[in-house]
Amino acid sequence: MFERFTKAARETVTEASLIARDMGAMTIEAEHLLLAVTNSPSPAAGVLHDAGLDDDGLRAALAAETARSLAAVGVGVEGLPFSPFVNTPRFGQSAKLALERALKVALARNDRHIGSTHLTLAVLQPSVGTVPRALDGAGVDRARLISALSA
Amino acid sequence: MMIDVSRPEDPADGLAAVLALRRVAEQLEAAEVERAMRAGWSWPEVAEALGVTRQAVHKKHAKRLIAAGVELRRR
Repeated sequence: MFERFTKAARETVTEASLIARDMGAMTIEAEHLLLAVTNSPSPAAGVLHDAGLDDDGLRAALAAETARSLAAVGVGVEGLPFSPFVNTPRFGQSAKLALERALKVALARNDRHIGSTHLTLAVLQPSVGTVPRALDGAGVDRARLISALSA
Repeated sequence: MMIDVSRPEDPADGLAAVLALRRVAEQLEAAEVERAMRAGWSWPEVAEALGVTRQAVHKKHAKRLIAAGVELRRR
């Protein structure tokens, strides 16, 4: 699956699994891929930072999305303390879809390799799910981000 | 923690709530299994309380608790 990924993009995927693990997630999801990109030395990270989505900004947007979604069903949760997991989580559906879409983005642009920009565009593509909800809630213009990354 | 599950008007909010509840359930499990083991519960007790097998709860949590220096009961 990762043959066409650049070395940097592979490292980003590995980093996403560590981020997911440290967050206590049982699966690697699209939001973990985006967190890994924004923490990587890539042009895509610069575009995310310009939109306020550096590590702190993105984590705050994700936490706000969780709080908002829980509040919609009347649930409130404050920080749950636990020691970090050591097992590497498996890929969840949103991350699998993002990896598939990254390949399609690269093919559509006639690019031979899949890099961080393709991966980011893929994560930003869907209009439903945790990432678009978190970005919408934080007032981030997803369409503008996509055009900045496509330039 | 306050729980009083109601239904939001927009299904998008309801579906997102399902995801958020799953995430929180995993974190709550991590926190509560740890609290029980620190309090001297055994793996079979924690497993039965969670409704899963001893192997399942052990596989999921043992390594991180050992890494965190929690003293675990053998049985």
